[in-house]
Amino acid sequence: MSDSKLMSAREAVNLIEDGCRLFTGGWTVVRKPMGLVYELIRQGKKNLSLISNPGGPEIDLLVGAGCVSLTESNYIGHEVFGHPYSFRRKVEEGPERTGYHHDDWTVQTGALRLLAGAMGLPFMPTLSLKGSDLINPDLDPMRELRGKDPRLPKQKVAFIKDPFWEGEEVTLVPALRPDVCLIHAQEVGEQGTVRLKGGAFLDYYAAMAAKLTIVSAERIVPEDSLRDLPQANTIPAQVVHAIVEMPYGAHPTAVWGFYDNDPWWFKDYLTASKEEEGFGAWLKEWVLDLQNHDEYLAKIGLKRLMSLRADPVLGYNPKIRRRLDKLQEVN
Amino acid sequence: MGLINPAPVVGGNAEKAPCSSLERMVVAASRLLQNGQMVLVGTGLPLVGATLAKHVHAPKMTVVMEAVAFDSKPFALPFCVADARGVYRTPWMPTAVEVMGQFLQNRRIDVGFLGGAQVDKYGNLNSTCMGSYLHPEKRFEGSGGACDIAVLSGKTIIIMVHEKRRFVEQVDYITSPGWKCRDHRTGRLVDRRELGMWGGPSAVVSTMGVMKFDPESHEMYVDEYFADLGVTLGAMKENTGFDIRIDGARPAPPPKAEELEVLRTVVDPEGIFMKY
Repeated sequence: MSDSKLMSAREAVNLIEDGCRLFTGGWTVVRKPMGLVYELIRQGKKNLSLISNPGGPEIDLLVGAGCVSLTESNYIGHEVFGHPYSFRRKVEEGPERTGYHHDDWTVQTGALRLLAGAMGLPFMPTLSLKGSDLINPDLDPMRELRGKDPRLPKQKVAFIKDPFWEGEEVTLVPALRPDVCLIHAQEVGEQGTVRLKGGAFLDYYAAMAAKLTIVSAERIVPEDSLRDLPQANTIPAQVVHAIVEMPYGAHPTAVWGFYDNDPWWFKDYLTASKEEEGFGAWLKEWVLDLQNHDEYLAKIGLKRLMSLRADPVLGYNPKIRRRLDKLQEVN
Repeated sequence: MGLINPAPVVGGNAEKAPCSSLERMVVAASRLLQNGQMVLVGTGLPLVGATLAKHVHAPKMTVVMEAVAFDSKPFALPFCVADARGVYRTPWMPTAVEVMGQFLQNRRIDVGFLGGAQVDKYGNLNSTCMGSYLHPEKRFEGSGGACDIAVLSGKTIIIMVHEKRRFVEQVDYITSPGWKCRDHRTGRLVDRRELGMWGGPSAVVSTMGVMKFDPESHEMYVDEYFADLGVTLGAMKENTGFDIRIDGARPAPPPKAEELEVLRTVVDPEGIFMKY
């Protein structure tokens, strides 16, 4: 047995158990671990409890593919590209019919909940949420599951009077404790040191909070080379358990310095996912009928992949047009 | 004037084209932002308005986005708060722990700039769902950071297309609290200050005009209307889902040629948000 953390996507995703609490890194349509998520769907994972802060196409796909029973997120969507139709459909159908429950949070409280998890604390105080229906006890979508499903805190929030200073009421939010954290990185050392560029979002905190962290990366680099510039590194190797080399592993989301969002993907997916049938056909064609990420990339095609490549200084591709109704074919 | 970086015209929009109501809204909203302010900007139209203000009259405003971009001077329009376009030449890259847990919660944000699907007469915002929350008719993407920004900013500015179904007596779900919002202990609507909250909405900018809130009743009223677009106060009443006060409303100063030109050629030349 080698002690190498390097493995294939199939091997890495094999470590993930049905029913676990799974965090996906990145931010909406930026640096999402899409290749690992496609593999989760291929392996037919079930009953997952998803955490994202915030979620993008990866959550819409997993929810649509029937892999999910719970989501806790501040947002699930594709930004200005269009709406998350699978997520929307399941929520509108209702948990009685789908068995799927979604709970709404906010960017700040999601971040604090991960920070609490990263620090080994059971909860964190916040001054946010007051006045909002997010803490309306009559509107807690997880109410019937609390105290029964061990993946969820026994209540959504709690309140205390500040015992130290002015005595104001403060809201407490429960720690997030993901079993697994999935991150897609620009670079990872062969031992697991992660270098994220163009924004780490909550990925460091989630890796610290999680029991198992799997990192896919655009490229694997010698650990020694990462020690040349330690201040540019984001996550230490000691909390990374599996590494997958996966160029274009966040496609169709954007990876700073590597590639931009793929507007053609979003146009295609959004058109297909408007109806459940179309979503199913899309999923079969682009995920289930393919063996792995290499086949997926081959199907996207070199021309399109090259057309997404980012300017190394700007970090994005200034030629990419982001308005879907005026998109032209790649030529 | 502070043109940060000229960008090529992509859309080929005639500079003399009449101002659209979307453009009019963004120009009016951008004018509410000032040099010296630290502004936390939500995704979508607020990004367009803040970028326009930064280019035209408020180059020394600090634009903060909840994901990562801090004091950003984008060369091209970021279309979300995590977009590399917003990160380019940003002097510092925080996470949401710093931006939302520290800058915002520690009262360092002067203005929160938000959009949404519904707003009510007390400035409560809904970006979560239409109909009942537990069994919605239409589900949206959710709060993002909007709730945090509405609770914790020094004040908030709201930008939203003016339609009867969007300007309602009471929002279906309070994602982001305004002046009279939910008391979690009783379920009733109470003045936000009774909940120990500061801030509150200061203006709502729509495709028809600029609304403000009565200092006593905290109900929304029309402060300015876009007479230059042919908007009348009668039409505003008709397109508002609650009885809105219009006495004392004035025609808003029309957009300047420079504002429209910068919006069309520099800020959103693709028409991603302005839909040319």
